[in-house]
Amino acid sequence: MKEFKYIGKNTDKRDALSLATGQPMFVDDISLPNMLQVKFLYSTYAHAIIEDIDTTEAENYPGVKMVLTYKNTPHIIHTTAGQGWPEPSPYDTYMFNKKVRFVGDRVAAVAAETEEEAAEAIKLIKVKYRVLPAVLDMKDAMKEGAPIIHDEEEIKGAYDPKHNLAAHIFVKAGDIEKGFKESDVIVEETFETQYAQHCPIEPHITITYLDEYGRIVIRTSTQVPFHVRRIVAQALNIPVQKIRVIKPRIGGGFGTKQEIILEEVCAYITMKTGRPARALFSREEEFISSRTRHPMQVNVKIGAKKDGTFNAIKMYVLSNTGAYGTHGLTVASNAGSKTLPLYNKAPNVEFTADVVYTNLPVSGAYRGYGATQGYAALEQAVDEVAYKLKMDPLKIRKKNHIRSGETSPIFRALGEGREGVTQYIQSCALDELIDKGAKEIGWFDKFGKPKRKGNKVRGVGMSIHMQGSGIPLIDMGAATLKMNEDGSFNLTYGGTDLGTGLDTVAAQIVAETLGIKPEQVIVYASDTDLTPFDVGAYASSGTFVSGGAVLNAAMKVREQIFDVAKEMFGEFDTKNFVLENGKVISKATGKSVTLSEIAYHTLYVKNQHQIAATGSFVSPYSPPPFAAHFVEIEVDEETGIITPIKYVAAVDCGVPINPELVRGQIIGAIVNGLGYALTEEYKFTDSGRMVNPNFMEYKIPSARDIPEIVTIINETYEPTGPYGAKSVAEININGPIPAIGNALYNALGIRLHQTPYTPERVLEAIEAKKLLDKGKVSEPIDPEQE
Amino acid sequence: MKVHYTINGEKKIFEIKPGEVLLDVLRRNGYSEVKGNCYMGTCGACTVLIDGVPHTSCTILAAKVDNKSITTIKGVGTLQHPHPLQKAFVEKGAVQCGFCTPGAILSAYALLKENPNPTDEEIKKALDGNVCRCTGYVQQVEAVKFSIKLLKEEK
Amino acid sequence: MLKLKNVRQCFMPDSLQEAVDILRDSQGKAAIVGGGLDITVFPRPYIEKLIFLDKLHLNYIKEKNSEIRVGATVTITDMERSLLIKNYLRGRVKEILGEVASQLLRNQITIGGSIARGHPYSDIIPLVYALRGRIVLSDGKDDEELLIDDFYRENFRELLKNKIVTEIRLKKYDDSYRFGMKRFVRNATDIPLLNVALLIKVEKNIIKDASISLGSRPGIAYRFIKGEEFLKGKKITKELAEDFQEFTEENVDVGGDARLSKTYRKHLAGVYSKNILLNLMEV
Repeated sequence: MKEFKYIGKNTDKRDALSLATGQPMFVDDISLPNMLQVKFLYSTYAHAIIEDIDTTEAENYPGVKMVLTYKNTPHIIHTTAGQGWPEPSPYDTYMFNKKVRFVGDRVAAVAAETEEEAAEAIKLIKVKYRVLPAVLDMKDAMKEGAPIIHDEEEIKGAYDPKHNLAAHIFVKAGDIEKGFKESDVIVEETFETQYAQHCPIEPHITITYLDEYGRIVIRTSTQVPFHVRRIVAQALNIPVQKIRVIKPRIGGGFGTKQEIILEEVCAYITMKTGRPARALFSREEEFISSRTRHPMQVNVKIGAKKDGTFNAIKMYVLSNTGAYGTHGLTVASNAGSKTLPLYNKAPNVEFTADVVYTNLPVSGAYRGYGATQGYAALEQAVDEVAYKLKMDPLKIRKKNHIRSGETSPIFRALGEGREGVTQYIQSCALDELIDKGAKEIGWFDKFGKPKRKGNKVRGVGMSIHMQGSGIPLIDMGAATLKMNEDGSFNLTYGGTDLGTGLDTVAAQIVAETLGIKPEQVIVYASDTDLTPFDVGAYASSGTFVSGGAVLNAAMKVREQIFDVAKEMFGEFDTKNFVLENGKVISKATGKSVTLSEIAYHTLYVKNQHQIAATGSFVSPYSPPPFAAHFVEIEVDEETGIITPIKYVAAVDCGVPINPELVRGQIIGAIVNGLGYALTEEYKFTDSGRMVNPNFMEYKIPSARDIPEIVTIINETYEPTGPYGAKSVAEININGPIPAIGNALYNALGIRLHQTPYTPERVLEAIEAKKLLDKGKVSEPIDPEQE
Repeated sequence: MKVHYTINGEKKIFEIKPGEVLLDVLRRNGYSEVKGNCYMGTCGACTVLIDGVPHTSCTILAAKVDNKSITTIKGVGTLQHPHPLQKAFVEKGAVQCGFCTPGAILSAYALLKENPNPTDEEIKKALDGNVCRCTGYVQQVEAVKFSIKLLKEEK
Repeated sequence: MLKLKNVRQCFMPDSLQEAVDILRDSQGKAAIVGGGLDITVFPRPYIEKLIFLDKLHLNYIKEKNSEIRVGATVTITDMERSLLIKNYLRGRVKEILGEVASQLLRNQITIGGSIARGHPYSDIIPLVYALRGRIVLSDGKDDEELLIDDFYRENFRELLKNKIVTEIRLKKYDDSYRFGMKRFVRNATDIPLLNVALLIKVEKNIIKDASISLGSRPGIAYRFIKGEEFLKGKKITKELAEDFQEFTEENVDVGGDARLSKTYRKHLAGVYSKNILLNLMEV
């Protein structure tokens, strides 16, 4: 493999020092004169019609400039999902509506001089509700006679709204029933995952203002600036050219900022009043009114031959999209499309999903995007097959997982809301990942031999995963590179760094391609006026798609530089030219010229022109990264408390362009996943109100909660990615639930079918097993070393 | 009412409302480096040092700290002259979105003043109120340890 | 955003007398602020005046008359780091203090505030209960000393309308005393959802005296007198610990809430009681 100068190296994250010294980089770090403050009124009912709303008193409250309701705002149906056009999510949302569909649905907004005044005025709005029966359990949504949540005539793109079905998916390969008939063992398991939230430490925040030409500027904490521009234009019925969206630094997203939630409201207020407007979610609003992870019930049935080869896999997903269908179809698709191809040895595969509306908080995009829920079920079912066949879980996975050069019919059958694209795997280190992870956790000493000390029992578990790198033939990014006198370059691109370090990776790609230092690349990103288009940061697309665009731009600029050098050297072709240390060198003649000299030459001396190029990237490929996760846990049999002791993630993300940043993505996702597996969950009252919308009651991991975490980055070369890279951002959130679930089984022979694995639930399972087991002796499985 | 603070070494007088919390007073007066808005002391993004002790400024009444000295992240080090902790956070990949970073560094700063050679467990304990959703903390702990080395070199 | 909208005045009195006078004169509309966590997190809308204790010199931990005297504005961190606490009851109190909430909140929560606010999910209240702490109240002129049981037995909120908690007194226990405490939390920095604190006096393996408190049950902490009686006079053994688990589970007064079911809390109370006792056997 070629030796790189900056690829695969830990250059400092370029915004890190500015962030660590508190520079004003976030949306809310500016304050504009005459800025209006926006507060919202939310529905206190899960399902109701607003019969009347009286805003007179609120409007007369001192400082109030504007009160917004369905009566005085554009009534244009759209989706809040920040996806590419045409969005695969149904159009089922209005800016404000006469019908409210969950506790936390937006009823009105007030814009006032101060936050306090806006909050007071909110209390003065009088709403007369006609309360409707509600659907508060996803299993009730499709029942005959269930209340219809979306009965609006204008709804578009939902599968069968009369039956609360936002989306429905059915795909198959082979003959599933025959597949099961011809299997020697069959395992069927159902797992349910909970409502959970992204919890970026910076909540949603938007500031809007008019520029000196009367255009609306939206400064917002978003993962999708270009989609914000398009969807705000749509929702307000104004031309795209009237809007400029700027994404400064953003304080974490994890999917929740792939939504248009505050932008259209602030933009509308600014449009109507001419004044700047600011809306900032409180932590409570973030929980009740932004977005969540789709709770799912996943049923997995696997048929396998005696030798462990899978013969049939059937997955059924019931997904709860909440009150609106944003990301409903695609998240459910991913529960299958990002999991089933992993076991491509099964010729018979079937995947069905029902995505239902309920009168509960709105689900959306969340790191892992359905794959997390799919793996929670699939990877535990795979362990069950292994136990049934008395095989080592490692061996059964090695027998069945996808390999380089192979494909799966699911790739084509199941795309993002439409048919997918056939993929042949070109890089896959799963066998090494399994071996290295197993060694690190001590699998062969520990598996099947739970260690007991008093009431505490230790066990190990594992799981394997794949994800994607962007959405093939859909996600497009573009980048522009322009040369300056000192041989530095401006990179402007639409890629959206939400804290991941994408801007740093982009600079490394430019530096490597042009033979300069990363510090010589000035990166400016995500400004719809100044940078080229990019779909934004989601679907693990950053390095692969946006990075690919940067590489294409850099390659074009490289050609332009060579053309000038050729002229300056008086040579006839460029094939012996190299770019190194800020110089073009002709290996044929030994002549050299610095990039600075080239820049001066082209800008001032002869045949003057700007060396610059725009590169776009869209790919028929979405190369999956792979991971093998291992965990050792300690379970307290008396209390049911699970303590993760050590977590190992072996990951193949192609060439890690910046290993330290890659490691940060891996560990961050694992810890987020540990919270999801063990403690994080929405709790509701009987009327659908969330009772724990704050960090005092919704428990995300702190520094004292983390186990020892070992990351193993196993480099491969992915020919379709920039400098061999694949994605890494999402995949590692998928491991904690199945790996811990499997470790729990390994330790105590219990399996929980509902997450999170709270002490109460674990203890209940322990007690149930005690009753069942009286007198029974289970046969241990010996791990098989290969 | 008026309060007198010494912020990052500079004497300041602010007009405040009696019921206000320090976070709001600081942000209103341009200290945008102080983040956070949970107002329950549960995220730690609003951490400042008050007479050297880290506190969540969203739960500290502004009136209570009259005549006290307050340190924000800008009092620890600047872009031009960063503190070893800031350098270490950068080098060890401990900064992702950066929203929690000032708070975490301030907590670490207070720890090292008190305990120049903390164990991993002591570092985790000192940072346990500064919630980070991006990094998973591992690189933050590594950064604090690395900063000890940098601090020694600087001496 | 401003939560304490109705606060009009802040006071930083120089004497207890002044503080009590303001408190009394404001007829329930003033709040005593120790660290200020409670009033900012759970703002009471009727509060118009804030009385800060910062100038009253209550930030001390000292030893007097075989007691550790903890001033009301001492924070959990101050107490955890105090040399007087370092080896107190073999360091077990220090250890527990270090587990409470997060470092940032330990730096703010005061011992006096914890007692005076009487929150159900406090770690300080069951701790002081089990240690048979005494609460010192001042009416500006005179001090009144109440055993923590008596403090909470009375309507302490009524009591605090014209008195201020100034000090907590903890007895210095000799080596025959052993202390242990366990807390159930969802993650490390959580509020406790159940805590059990146990102090026993052991002579020749016989439990001569016992003091037990359970908190976050989910009501305010209480003294588990039945449990104390059960242990007294018995030999400390593994069997006793197991019997004690069963006894506690049957007799303890705990309930359920959205966080934990009653059944689980009862079970935990039993398990923790047993495990503390087992740990104390090994001392």
